[in-house]
Amino acid sequence: MSLFGTTSGFGTGGTSMFGSTTTDNHNPMKDIEVTSSPDDSIGCLSFSPPTLPGNFLIAGSWANDVRCWEVQDNGQTIPKAQQMHTGPVLDVCWSDDGSKVFTASCDKTAKMWDLNSNQAIQIAQHDAPVKTIHWIKAPNYSCVMTGSWDKTLKFWDTRSSNPMMVLQLPERCYCADVIYPMAVVATAERGLIVYQLENQPSEFRRIESPLKHQHRCVAIFKDKQNKPTGFALGSIEGRVAIHYINPPNPAKDNFTFKCHRSNGTNTSAPQDIYAVNGIAFHPVHGTLATVGSDGRFSFWDKDARTKLKTSEQLDQPISACCFNHNGNIFAYASSYDWSKVRIPRPALGAARQQSRALGWESIGLSCDSSPDSHHSFGQSPAHGKCPVSVSGHRLPCPWVQKDGQAGG
Amino acid sequence: VDRQSLLCYFCALTILIRYCNRDFDDEKILIQHQKAKHFKCHICHKKLYTGPGLAIHCMQVHKETIDAVPNAIPGRTDIELEIYGMEGIPEKDMDERRRLLEQKTQESQKKKQQDDSDEYDDDDSAASTSFQPQPVQPQQGYIPPMAQPGLPPVPGAPGMPPGIPPLMPGVPPLMPGMPPVMPGMPPGMMPMGGMMPPGPGIPPLMPGMPPGMPPPVPRPGIPPMTQAQAVSAPGILNRPPAPTATVPAPQPPVTKPLFPSAGQMGTPVTSSSTASSNSESLSASSKALFPSTAQAQAAVQGPVGTDFKPLNSTPATTTEPPKPTFPAYTQSTASTTSTTNSTAAKPAASITSKPATLTTTSATSKLIHPDEDISLEERRAQLPKYQRNLPRPGQAPIGNPPVGPIGGMMPPQPGIPQQQGMRPPMPPHGQYGGHHQGMPGYLPGAMPPYGQGPPMVPPYQGGPPRPPMGMRPPVMSQGGRY
Repeated sequence: MSLFGTTSGFGTGGTSMFGSTTTDNHNPMKDIEVTSSPDDSIGCLSFSPPTLPGNFLIAGSWANDVRCWEVQDNGQTIPKAQQMHTGPVLDVCWSDDGSKVFTASCDKTAKMWDLNSNQAIQIAQHDAPVKTIHWIKAPNYSCVMTGSWDKTLKFWDTRSSNPMMVLQLPERCYCADVIYPMAVVATAERGLIVYQLENQPSEFRRIESPLKHQHRCVAIFKDKQNKPTGFALGSIEGRVAIHYINPPNPAKDNFTFKCHRSNGTNTSAPQDIYAVNGIAFHPVHGTLATVGSDGRFSFWDKDARTKLKTSEQLDQPISACCFNHNGNIFAYASSYDWSKVRIPRPALGAARQQSRALGWESIGLSCDSSPDSHHSFGQSPAHGKCPVSVSGHRLPCPWVQKDGQAGG
Repeated sequence: VDRQSLLCYFCALTILIRYCNRDFDDEKILIQHQKAKHFKCHICHKKLYTGPGLAIHCMQVHKETIDAVPNAIPGRTDIELEIYGMEGIPEKDMDERRRLLEQKTQESQKKKQQDDSDEYDDDDSAASTSFQPQPVQPQQGYIPPMAQPGLPPVPGAPGMPPGIPPLMPGVPPLMPGMPPVMPGMPPGMMPMGGMMPPGPGIPPLMPGMPPGMPPPVPRPGIPPMTQAQAVSAPGILNRPPAPTATVPAPQPPVTKPLFPSAGQMGTPVTSSSTASSNSESLSASSKALFPSTAQAQAAVQGPVGTDFKPLNSTPATTTEPPKPTFPAYTQSTASTTSTTNSTAAKPAASITSKPATLTTTSATSKLIHPDEDISLEERRAQLPKYQRNLPRPGQAPIGNPPVGPIGGMMPPQPGIPQQQGMRPPMPPHGQYGGHHQGMPGYLPGAMPPYGQGPPMVPPYQGGPPRPPMGMRPPVMSQGGRY
């Protein structure tokens, strides 16, 4: 039974929207496309934790739905289930045991979706859309952390309708990340706050932003002892800042790098600078991936301060990305993120049509069963850190698209 | 006149700098020297920042291996050492230097009695000629001037500058009282407060000093505080002796908890400056993630801007941070500043009140982003397309006067397709900022968990007629966001 409305695989449904399949840049990386993608932009992706056997991918979209796929080792994706909100879904996350999925939505609520029973109940309420949601598992407590555009950060025990704690934010919450015992929240007006979660969540430090532009995404990274030690912060200005919480030499250890820009600086045309829409760290290697509005994703090594790889340009911005729990699979969502639309107030209708014309939303997966078969670009050091296989022919599964033909 | 001298690890070149009562980052000059002399690629003349950086550059760009630091004296050519300015110098070299330092200061002690900067000059010049492998300028009472590796200039150390100048005058009186074993007793150590005696035998040397006064740091017996830069001297650590033992280990295991005492976390500013300086002075790998104070924050150099200049002007960090040198990071200052300055309507160094829009276009770059300074999601969520299904208790953004009746009580639109078994949440009329007690659950056919049943649906407020769809955009624009 089809849960998603479209019964056919994406191949036939998708190509019909594009005139020619040979020249479309829809999947230049020849990565595997997930079947039955949502009908509107995907805002968030999340892979299941290692406690679950196999890999399950959750995606929340602007079509108010949350979808779950099982991703098999050969790259095949199987739609599993779906839940709805009454507003676009902005963030999703898993509980640590993999039995629940938490979803945050523009309808100002957050829900807990029990996958075993396929029931979803509301567990949180805000006064404005809930932008971030994270599961916190501490030795002495567990809770859900929700950040909202109502400038609050709330912590919920899923059994109670009252929040366990409410922390005020200086501004609207734009992005957050949690790796116990550390949480980072980035807000509007370039606010940046670090929280410590031991015993109970409390604000640890407000950091002056290392970036000069609007914050867009943040991801915590860990040190060699697997403890969170800093975070990567992306902005709308094609730049990511690597910031350590307590570096021995902050001036030297903290740095920023430019990314997701077009036309090198030596051309006469002005350089196009795109927003960094998502950052994800590889759970094993510690390399980071960034995805941007320019429709590319890149892998970086923050310790060697090198770029490992940049993908080809997709035809749409990439709005979200995620690694699975062992880093063998990298999922990215290619969908319009409204970065290019200037909406004069009366012309909203035209903009809406434009978004449809730009195409369908899709989630691409890059998966590589053998960690050694990486493909490095440019000046990346050959240290075998990049797990993603880019070339289509390397992938052994039948879902790889060649020349726009339907897979399988 | 205050003075600092720095020692280049690789060529033992001594750089003397004078400064007078101002915060001065003399390490900058040392670093410039290192970059030009030791970390410059012989092929393309690109200046790197460290030895390993140079090695990697040559390998990646020129496919060449380097095995020695250029222009380095024998014994100091190890390209694997990550040395930057005065930081990263190996322990044994620090020991050597300290020993030499002691000898030197013993001599200069006597001369010092007569005082004056001329004395210093003589000492320096004499010292420099007499130094073979380890030229060290015995600056009276200045540990940093002793050019001890691992002991960055005290003024340069984070959190310390304020204390240094006032103590300078105190040096001369101090010196005579000190036995020769106390070379380089840094007056700057004093304000540290809580200096820990490095070991036995020290206490006798501290007559008349404030309790816990800095012990003779350069003493060879004192375990070097590793290559940690921020550590002015081992004695700076005002922590129980135990950590001292652990500090010297180049890669001590992470012993500190991430949050040393969670109970204190709530108070960002604690009085224990000691703890902060502890944390600051710890070497890289043994640092806790979250030491217990905001002092740590103050001491930690503020975030660096795109040019790696600290965004807030902390006194300690006027060091020009290294610009990334790897190809992936295009960093010509000109292009960086032009793009960032032009595209941001806000000044770089502070978060002032910003206009509501961004400057997204400049001569050299164009920010592909809508002009308004709100997130893409916020912008998108304003569209009527996404508003249709949402409950609308109140339209006003927080902090602004409510938009009022416009769309105030939006009754559920009959046209909204209802999901099977689900109902749109209709919390009781949203008082703004109030927490909604009613959270209707979504279990189809079951009682919502919070005991709020269907009767929870608030009455339609009736009120002002809902404006037709087409009119909403202008309304929303006035109201802003939510």
